[in-house]
Amino acid sequence: MKRNAPRHTTTQRHTAPRRCKTFSLRELGNTRTSIDRRTLLRGTGAALALPWLEVMRPSSVMSGENTTDPSTNTPVRLAALFVPNGVRQDCWTPNQEGTEFELSPSLTPLKNVKDELVVCTNLWNQASNVGDGHYVKTSGFLTCTTINKSLGIDLNCNGKSMDQVAAERSQNQTPIASLELGIDPVTTGVDTNVGYTRVYGSHIAWAGPTSPLARELNPRLVFERLFRATNPKASSASRDSLLLDRVLSDAKELHRQLGAADRQRMDEYLQSVRSIEKRLNNQQHGMQSWEPIQKLSMDAAPPEQKPDDFPEHCRLMLDMIALAFQTDSTRVCTFMFGNAVSGRNFSFLDGVSGGHHDTSHHQNEASKLDAYQKINHWHVTQYAYLLEKLQGMKEGEGSVLDHSMILYGSGLRDGNSHNPHNLPILLGGRGGGRIKTGQHLKSQNDTPLANLYAGMLQAFGCDTDRFADSTGILPGLLA
Amino acid sequence: MVKDYQIKNDLNHWTKIIQRLSDQTMPPEESEQPTQEIREEMIRSVNQSIQAVICDDGISPGRPVLRRLNRTEYANTVRDLLGIHVNAAHALPDDGAGGEGFDNASETLFISPIHAEKYLDAAREALSHALLDPSPRSRLLTSAPSESITPTTAAEQILRQFLPRAFRRPVTENEIAEYSGLFAVALAQEERFEPAITLVLEAAMTSPKFLFHLESPPASEEPAKLSSYEMANRISYFLWNSMPDQTLFDLANSNQLQNDTVLAEQVRRMLNSPINNGGLRRGAKVREFAASFTEQWLGTRALGREFEPAAPYASLYDSELEGGMKYEPIFFFEDLLSDNRSILNLIDSDFSYLNNRLARHYQVAGEFREQPKRIELPAESHRGGLLGMSAVLAVSSLPHRTSPVIRGKWILETLLGTPPPPPPPNVPDLDSDSNMVTAKSLRERLEAHRDNPNCSSCHASLDPLGFGLENYDVLGRWRSEENGNLIDATGSLPDGTKFDGVEELKQVLLERKDQFVRHLTTKMLGYALGRGLTAEDRCVVDEIAQKVRQDDYKMQTLVIEIVQSVPFRYKMGSDPNASVITTASAP
Repeated sequence: MKRNAPRHTTTQRHTAPRRCKTFSLRELGNTRTSIDRRTLLRGTGAALALPWLEVMRPSSVMSGENTTDPSTNTPVRLAALFVPNGVRQDCWTPNQEGTEFELSPSLTPLKNVKDELVVCTNLWNQASNVGDGHYVKTSGFLTCTTINKSLGIDLNCNGKSMDQVAAERSQNQTPIASLELGIDPVTTGVDTNVGYTRVYGSHIAWAGPTSPLARELNPRLVFERLFRATNPKASSASRDSLLLDRVLSDAKELHRQLGAADRQRMDEYLQSVRSIEKRLNNQQHGMQSWEPIQKLSMDAAPPEQKPDDFPEHCRLMLDMIALAFQTDSTRVCTFMFGNAVSGRNFSFLDGVSGGHHDTSHHQNEASKLDAYQKINHWHVTQYAYLLEKLQGMKEGEGSVLDHSMILYGSGLRDGNSHNPHNLPILLGGRGGGRIKTGQHLKSQNDTPLANLYAGMLQAFGCDTDRFADSTGILPGLLA
Repeated sequence: MVKDYQIKNDLNHWTKIIQRLSDQTMPPEESEQPTQEIREEMIRSVNQSIQAVICDDGISPGRPVLRRLNRTEYANTVRDLLGIHVNAAHALPDDGAGGEGFDNASETLFISPIHAEKYLDAAREALSHALLDPSPRSRLLTSAPSESITPTTAAEQILRQFLPRAFRRPVTENEIAEYSGLFAVALAQEERFEPAITLVLEAAMTSPKFLFHLESPPASEEPAKLSSYEMANRISYFLWNSMPDQTLFDLANSNQLQNDTVLAEQVRRMLNSPINNGGLRRGAKVREFAASFTEQWLGTRALGREFEPAAPYASLYDSELEGGMKYEPIFFFEDLLSDNRSILNLIDSDFSYLNNRLARHYQVAGEFREQPKRIELPAESHRGGLLGMSAVLAVSSLPHRTSPVIRGKWILETLLGTPPPPPPPNVPDLDSDSNMVTAKSLRERLEAHRDNPNCSSCHASLDPLGFGLENYDVLGRWRSEENGNLIDATGSLPDGTKFDGVEELKQVLLERKDQFVRHLTTKMLGYALGRGLTAEDRCVVDEIAQKVRQDDYKMQTLVIEIVQSVPFRYKMGSDPNASVITTASAP
């Protein structure tokens, strides 16, 4: 197999030639599925509070609004899936370019959706080529900016993540502006070793320079938000408005008393409260009701407790993304399989013994490289699961996947050298026919990652051809 | 060398120079590089001068606190406000850490769009719990409409009780009127008393007046003392992670929390956790401080989160063991706080807290239950102090094997406050170094690694410390051999200090006890203030550490000195440079 020649490694092989492997599910020890269990859930619906967050979709949305596909009047969705710790590079990049390419060993799980896929090669994130090995490359993954080195004071990503640029566009068209999902709680502490708070390694979605977005980790709580959004009831709206008026008055009163420098936090809370009030107002003033494309059934509710089992937890989160998109509860979502430097124990895969981060520092040892690739392969399998699931959700003449763009990637290429050149990036789904899928899109060396994002944003319906440090829209991306 | 007066004239400039030297961006790559020793000596000496210049000028306290309650504070506050025993914060997003590494740091307590929705849900859920439970219900609904009491009067009476506790300060007549006004509208809409008053209570618990720590900015340019209520709140969230109790409110009301003696008495009261004859401690509020502080300082919060052992350790690791491991340092720290023991027990001690499962794990005989219990450690137990605790040993290991590098780093960073810099970029990999290929054991590999001058400057300090702990496996079990080879737990530090095994390693650390105490003081002051420390705060750290030293390293002295310090008792006025000139002690 031809090996991709990375530009920035000084490593030499001292071990026997390594072979990239393809694995069956059985070999990976991953035969459990969560689906059966979910359908047998106890007490469905009993624990749900009455919906209070009820939303209207403006009637203007129905015709030619920006984030819908004009030909079918179907919304376009955008999700970004983040994987920590990079990939084993010699098993990642396909050998052939263009439409006639074969999936590389690590990408074989995508065989059923190969025609819906763009494998991106030679993209890099220049702004994250400083600082440290992980934090800069995580918080900067979707912002394409250089974050401030900080333990807390002056924490700043110096930009806005691309998903939030999209969410700003679509926020008035769906009940939920965007979903931020994850598996690991925010990693505790600050990393005094490199001088960054681990908050940076636990967030990819930034609503603004100093506003990382909190993530939901429990699939059940995600489901409950979706359920409320898709089952609006008018009964509690006036009650909530009354209550929120009081809260807003208090916040404004405090805001007036604070010095200019201290107002930002109160502003954030004001905005948080106002976003609820805005939805309630829409509802009370008799605009046409927002209608979910698909009704959400309580049968699909995940267990109340966050699952301990990592693969099941991931699957449930991916299910929630699919449900959110299918019902049109939101059109924007980010998901982190793990936080930066994640030491997640992948020993549920045969042949993997160490933690994820430690394994990614493979030092070219054959056994670690094997284990590293198995972890990569497992993540890609999950990605394939989501793409296939969306493909199975029929919508109009096609599927939800046809009207989605599902980004998958890591903020660094090789976990051993931490560089943000030639990042492992995949894009799945046709974005309402705007993305030219079924290709291995090999760009010129060091093409800005932001060029891909600029293209995705345009396909999403944002009136732009720029994002962060982009130099144009990625050639060959758009149909 | 640089003179103090030169530094005084250009403080900002020198601070930047030191930053650049520390992160190795100066001198620039292409010019001649100093040795690591010269670099470190330069940093140390200039830092010392900078510190002297800063401390001479008196202490400027931090800004008045403005931040939301974190998740733990929220849960505890709701528990104490409503008298319920459910975790009201279970659905709130979790918090990251900033400053000195704690999740109460104001700089990283962000508010996302999702928060208001979550707070409203949480308030609703907590109040519905409270109203269904007779005891909390009667505490909340202190009045009810009757023939002689109108609904409006009843609501007002309830609010006069509830709002000052919810907002943790006296409320104004205007605030009573505003919330009574809300009740009137709610009653008209809801038609019944209870749904209407519930709505009002929900509003109060979604108000930023409940959700935020709010200290009023002083009207003066100069720094001002906190108000008595602000002091009550700071002490209470520092030592209990929750709202003040009635005693603190009463003392605040009579303005006694400015008095040193009263403050010291209150600290002792608040740290007290009763222990019974069986060595069991139950449910004192100081546990919240012990847990939040130690878990984040030591990194042991990672148990059950980031840390998850792999084979062959995974099968040994069950929830009872995890619980025992997790609670050992917490109960231990609580003991030091409550019984005013020496801080040096953290380095070495003759007692610990074990539950049944952990005692078996440590092969300590005796009667144990699920709840950790205080025991005098038998001779040759290989336990005592933080370094004998499996929680610490686990979170400084890889999932499948121990790592002397990580454990060495843990000691330098967590106990001594001198984290090593990150590895320099472009270090050749271990296996491209020809010596590495033939090296067999981990020790040999790491020794070969240290032949590389790029690596040696840090690893010469890191690795030996970690090797001193090699007798403990990933889960902290004692072992004398691994894979048939005897454990070699010897170490030799760059200054020539040699030791063999954990007992001698503890002696090495005890020789550095003042550095350890200074670092613990830094951590605890950062936790108490809920922010990262400034250079001026570090002057205070030095003073406190010295007083602790003079008082036999007593734990309560550390806490009392923090509570009586300028940064804890004062807030910044409109001039950020104005200082409180009191280097000796707070007035």
